[in-house]
Amino acid sequence: MSSSLSRRTLLKTAAGGLAAAGLSGCSSGPPPGTGTWSMWSSSPEEGKVWADFGRYVERRMNVKSVSTLTPSDGYPTKLDLQLVSGTASLVTGMNGWLLPTYASRGAHRPLDDLIAQDPDFDLDDFYPAIRSISSFAGRTYGIGFDVAPVVLYYNKTLLERHGIDPPSATEPMTWQTFRDLAIELSGPKDGYGFTCAPSIDDLVSWIYSAGGNVINDKGDASAMDAPEARHAIDFVIDLFVKDRVTPPINNLVSANASGMALANFLQGDVAFMQNGPWQVLNVRKAPFEWDIVPFPAGPAGSKPRVSGSCFAIPSGVNGSDLDLAWRLLKTLTSTGALDIYATAGRNNPARLSSGSAFKPPPANLGLVQKILKGRAGGGHPFDVTTNWNRVRQLLSQDLPRAFLGDLTATEAIDSFTPRLNVLMRQHRDAVRQADRRSE
Amino acid sequence: MALQTRTAMPGTPARQLGGPRPRWRCSETFAAWLFLLPSLIGFLVFTAGPVIAAGVISLLDWNLFSPPGFAGPDNFTRLGPDPTFWSAFGNTLYFTFVSVPLTLLVSLALALLLNQGLRRIAVFRSLLLLPYATITVAVAFVWIWLYIPTDGLVNAVLGVFGIDGPAWLISDDWAMPALIVMSVWKSFGFGMVIFLAGLQAIPQQLYEAARVDGATPWRTFLSVTLPLLSPSVFFVVVTSIIHSFQVFDQALVMTDGGPGARTTTLVMYIYQTGFQNYEQGYAAAQSIVLFAFIAVITAMQFLLQRRLVHYDV
Repeated sequence: MSSSLSRRTLLKTAAGGLAAAGLSGCSSGPPPGTGTWSMWSSSPEEGKVWADFGRYVERRMNVKSVSTLTPSDGYPTKLDLQLVSGTASLVTGMNGWLLPTYASRGAHRPLDDLIAQDPDFDLDDFYPAIRSISSFAGRTYGIGFDVAPVVLYYNKTLLERHGIDPPSATEPMTWQTFRDLAIELSGPKDGYGFTCAPSIDDLVSWIYSAGGNVINDKGDASAMDAPEARHAIDFVIDLFVKDRVTPPINNLVSANASGMALANFLQGDVAFMQNGPWQVLNVRKAPFEWDIVPFPAGPAGSKPRVSGSCFAIPSGVNGSDLDLAWRLLKTLTSTGALDIYATAGRNNPARLSSGSAFKPPPANLGLVQKILKGRAGGGHPFDVTTNWNRVRQLLSQDLPRAFLGDLTATEAIDSFTPRLNVLMRQHRDAVRQADRRSE
Repeated sequence: MALQTRTAMPGTPARQLGGPRPRWRCSETFAAWLFLLPSLIGFLVFTAGPVIAAGVISLLDWNLFSPPGFAGPDNFTRLGPDPTFWSAFGNTLYFTFVSVPLTLLVSLALALLLNQGLRRIAVFRSLLLLPYATITVAVAFVWIWLYIPTDGLVNAVLGVFGIDGPAWLISDDWAMPALIVMSVWKSFGFGMVIFLAGLQAIPQQLYEAARVDGATPWRTFLSVTLPLLSPSVFFVVVTSIIHSFQVFDQALVMTDGGPGARTTTLVMYIYQTGFQNYEQGYAAAQSIVLFAFIAVITAMQFLLQRRLVHYDV
């Protein structure tokens, strides 16, 4: 009797538990009218900034703000899953280089109709570079929240120790001057003139400055084998292989990681590092004096990569949710919100009217806004394809062999160009498909 | 026979063939299904379901975000002229056909050593099983440090013997061997435990008979140990080959498929196609081809086992 009862009780408990688990798994999410948005966040400091954003949204919109924060490495994967499962937030943060990937596949909606219907929204208050980065096939898919060109960080203490005057704060040095300085500041033991990742994301600044690009003007083939790009690739590879002014590459995975160049620079024995002002917050921890100057000028001038991030609205958002999403997006990219972001020192805000909020140190931080306004140096919006992940991976696997001296630049380019052309044709097809979808 | 035995048992009611099943039998069947249910649900939801779904998706043109379109066999015909697919396939074969024999040899050698009646065998067995029990990603990071060309342990040891070690993970020639060595180290523990169990099941009288007949240790190994260990060897070979064809995490962490595409494996290429280029249909087609290839290889092994594997003692 007791055995029979206990078995029945056990079964009932198990069934009850399963039902409870099922019900909790079928949670309906935040109630309607909640301002949901997603963003990457990899540190407590970043989390605090986004919490301030949330409070700002609640104050300005009088709605509950719910943010989904994910570490930056896993953010695209999580966004993919949320978009596919229909559980994405009303507004999603997006790195500019991923925008064509999502826009071409119909994951996010164009915003032109919403912008046109809203007389309060002034797109002209955003830097031209971020407007270019947030657009795909002539349509606006995102509204920027940060934008900045790559600059050249330098170790002031190291230069002083070598009796070298700091480079001009506004005039980019020539490639030759930069190379001579890098050689002079290298050695005799464990001293290096320059550091960057042997990856395409860092190499493009040199390619743009030489007048080249990764993709040709028609958008259907690689331009890496054009003379301008070859010249840039040769120059940078020579810094690694012939001049040996860079720290040694031990491992491709970590060498390609964006943090490796920063880690090298923070050691204190590297004179120059190419990186974006989004690293200012991290470089402030350096135990030496440093500053930033414009990226070196090549045959086409100083044209470093200009990158940015934006907020966008998933395609699945419609009806009254769309109205809420648009109001939320406007609030998240308003001057007030971007001031919070910039004051925290994260990066340069995307709005001209928020420009003053991103403040020194370093002493020359105003350079970033000067470059974006065209008053110093120059820049080039990051031109990416709809499959940039693959392009980046292909080049990150093939290029470092040249950086290691295993292949010449010409051999490396000849080796990857056929495969890169396949990816470029896939990109062209994706653009055509997106065009057909929007017709 | 069983029925007669059961009907002859005192106190047990006789049952006609084809008659109603006794309640205790129904209850036993129900209980059996109940016990099987968690595994069955797991199998249907996480194994059979995705396999069927992959088959369906392989016929679609689907980028994950937009509604899919029917592609027919296009995703399969694309495989033929895709050089990256064949390069990844070649890399996977290279990895499998070098790493599996090496893993078998190391596992068998260590199992034979541990089977010598060493003191504190359980301690050694646990220590040797540790790499297998450790997460691959963690092991991969440790090996990245070991392989650092300038001050890594591997090149430091080689340096003692006057050998100038290569830049393992970034060398065209050495990246794949480096991955293989790491994988062998990571996985020998599994085979070792299986072999050890097999060795301990071999009757001692067979060894005594061999000794009486004057067999040398090598002859004893070839004529007694190896044949009687063949079921264990077969099991380890089949599972190792299947796992090797699915190699992914160590290549992703240690080389990201490079240099060039020297260590891009088939599963890595499937991942890139499906989740970086969002070509779900094409990725599913590659998965189906890999699945079919593994199925054929496994079937061939099962055919061969009839001649090579001895189950009788």
